[in-house]
Amino acid sequence: MSWQPEADEIAQRRAWAQEMGGAEAIKRHHERNRLTVRERIAALCDGESFREVGGLSGAAKYDADGKVQHVVPAPYVMGLAQIDGRPVAIGGEDFTVRGGTSWGGARRKGGQGGFVEDLAHQFRIPLVNLIDGAGGTVTSMRRRGYSVFPGVDGFERSVELLGEVPVVAAVMGTAAGGPAGRAILSHFSVMVRGSSQIFAAGPPVVKRSLGQEIDKEDLGGAGVTVDIAGTIHNAAANEQEAFEQIRRFLSYMPANVWQLPPKQECSDPADRQDEGLLSIVPRKRTQAYNMRKLIDMVVDKDSVFEIQPSYGKSVITSLARLDGHVVGIIANNPMHLGGAMDVKSARKQIHFMELCDTFHVPLVFLVDVPGFMVGLEAEKAATLREGMRAVYVAGQLTVPTITLVIRKCYGMAGMATCNKNGFDLKLAWPSGEWGSLPVEGGVAAAFRRDIEAAPDPKQREQELEAELRQLASPFRTAEAFAVEDVIDPRETRPVLIDFIRLCRDRLDTTLGPKPRYGVGP
Amino acid sequence: MARHVINSEITGTVFKIETAVGAAVSSGDVLIVLESMKMEIPVEAPAAGKVVEILVAEGEAIAEGQALATVEG
Repeated sequence: MSWQPEADEIAQRRAWAQEMGGAEAIKRHHERNRLTVRERIAALCDGESFREVGGLSGAAKYDADGKVQHVVPAPYVMGLAQIDGRPVAIGGEDFTVRGGTSWGGARRKGGQGGFVEDLAHQFRIPLVNLIDGAGGTVTSMRRRGYSVFPGVDGFERSVELLGEVPVVAAVMGTAAGGPAGRAILSHFSVMVRGSSQIFAAGPPVVKRSLGQEIDKEDLGGAGVTVDIAGTIHNAAANEQEAFEQIRRFLSYMPANVWQLPPKQECSDPADRQDEGLLSIVPRKRTQAYNMRKLIDMVVDKDSVFEIQPSYGKSVITSLARLDGHVVGIIANNPMHLGGAMDVKSARKQIHFMELCDTFHVPLVFLVDVPGFMVGLEAEKAATLREGMRAVYVAGQLTVPTITLVIRKCYGMAGMATCNKNGFDLKLAWPSGEWGSLPVEGGVAAAFRRDIEAAPDPKQREQELEAELRQLASPFRTAEAFAVEDVIDPRETRPVLIDFIRLCRDRLDTTLGPKPRYGVGP
Repeated sequence: MARHVINSEITGTVFKIETAVGAAVSSGDVLIVLESMKMEIPVEAPAAGKVVEILVAEGEAIAEGQALATVEG
C-alpha cells in the first residue's frame, strides 16, 4: 500500500497554510493597501524560488476520530529563497492571522529570535525581515498561565547576525514591541511612507502613560521615524518600491563577512574624466554646490544607492560602484548646515562606516566639512560627544579608505574622515583647505593683542588673514608630504579606480568578522 | 504638463532671486540663492519649463520644507 493518503494530507495542509487567516481577513488586509506576507515574499524573491520552512505549523482542530479538520497557520511565514540569483533567508509576520502576534511555537518560529535567523546564521546568507506585527500580547499570558521574562527567546541571534550576514528589515505594517526591536537590529531598514508605522509603543499605550492623544501615523510614520528621528533608514512610496530598495541594497552586499562584495561588469569607462568637475566647486568660498552631482560625475553611471537621504542631511552616505567594485561614499553636503557635522549626521556617518567596515566595502570620503555644528542647540544635543564617537569609530576602521578633500576639512569633524589604521590615502583637489579651524574664525582669537595694538585693527586683521591664507594652499601641504597628492578634479574617477583595484589583495586577505573593542564615547 | 513645486531643503534666508515669473528655464538652472550658515545655497530647477510663481522675496526668512517657487513643464 502506498502513502497516497498522507501525500494527499500534505497537499491539504499546505493548502490550509496558503489560506492564511481566511478570505475575509485577506480582503481587509488588501483594503488597507497592503499585500499579504506570501504576496510580499513572491514579489520580492525570484520566480518560484521560495522554499518554505515550517509551513505546516499552526493550530489544528481534530474530530473525535483524530482526523484533522483544519489548521490555522502560525502567524509567521518563512523559508529560503533567492533574490537576483543569490540565496536569502526570509520571513515575515502574517497579519491576517491574529494580527501577526507572537506565536508560542516550540522552535521559536517567528517572533523574537525566530528560526529564520538561525537559517541565516547557519547558511551564512542575508536575512530579510518583513515586519508586520506588534509582538507579544497579554493573551499569551492567559494561555500559558504565567508571564514570559523578556528576552528568554531573545535577541542574542539578532545581535550575532549583525556581525555575520547582511540583515534587512522592511517595516510593512504597524510595528511595535519585539518586531519593532528587530527592525532596528538590522543593517538596512526601509518602511512604506503613509502605510507603515513603527514605535516603542503605540497610541493606546501613549494615551495611558502620558495622556497624549496621537494617531499612529503622527507618532510613528516615516515623517517622524525616517525624516526626523533616523529610527528607520529609508522610506519607500509603496511596497513595490520597498522591495526594489531591498534588492538594490543586497546587490552591494556579500552573502556574509567571509566573502567580498560582488563585483559587477562595468560599461562606464574607467578613464572617463568629466569636465564638469573642474568648475563644480565655486571659487567663492561661501558658495555651496551640489555634492550629489559631483558624486554622480565620479562613480559608475547609475550606481548610487543613498542610505538615509532624508536624515542628517549635512552628510551624504551612498553605496556606489567604481569600475564595478562596491564602494561606500561619505560626502559632506555644503547645502546643509554648510556641511557641519551635527548629531544626526554623526549618527548617520557612524552607521555607514560600521556597515562598510563590516562587509569589507572600501570607503571614499569626499570631504567638505567646516567642523562640528556650533551653538546652544547643538551643545544641548551632545554634538561634541556624538561627533567624537564618529572620530572614534573612524579610528577603528580597518577597511581601506581614501580621503579626498574637495573643499574644507577642519577640526575634529575633519578627523572623522580619515582612518589611520589601514592605509589611508589623503588626496586633495586644488580647492582643498584644512586645519584646526578656518582662518577667518581663528585670526581674531589667536592674534588678539597684535590686532588690538595695531593703529588700524581691522586692517591688521585682514593682513594676518591674507598671510595665513597664502600658507593654507594645498600645494604647501603636499610639498611637506602631509597630503599624498593634489589632483586635477577631472582625474578623480581614474585615480579612485586605480586605488580601489589595488585594494583587492588586501581585502582578500582580511576577510571574516571584525572584532570591536573598547568603550566608545 | 507637470507642475513642480520647489520646497526649501533648509532653514535660512532668501539671498537672491535669479529668475522671474514667466522665465523659461532648463533643468539645473539656478532659480533662487538661499543663505544659511554663512553659505550661499543655489536652488535649481528640477525640470525644464516655465517659472509660474515665486513665493518668496529677497531677505525673507524661510523654513525647511517651505515652498519657494513653482515650475511648469
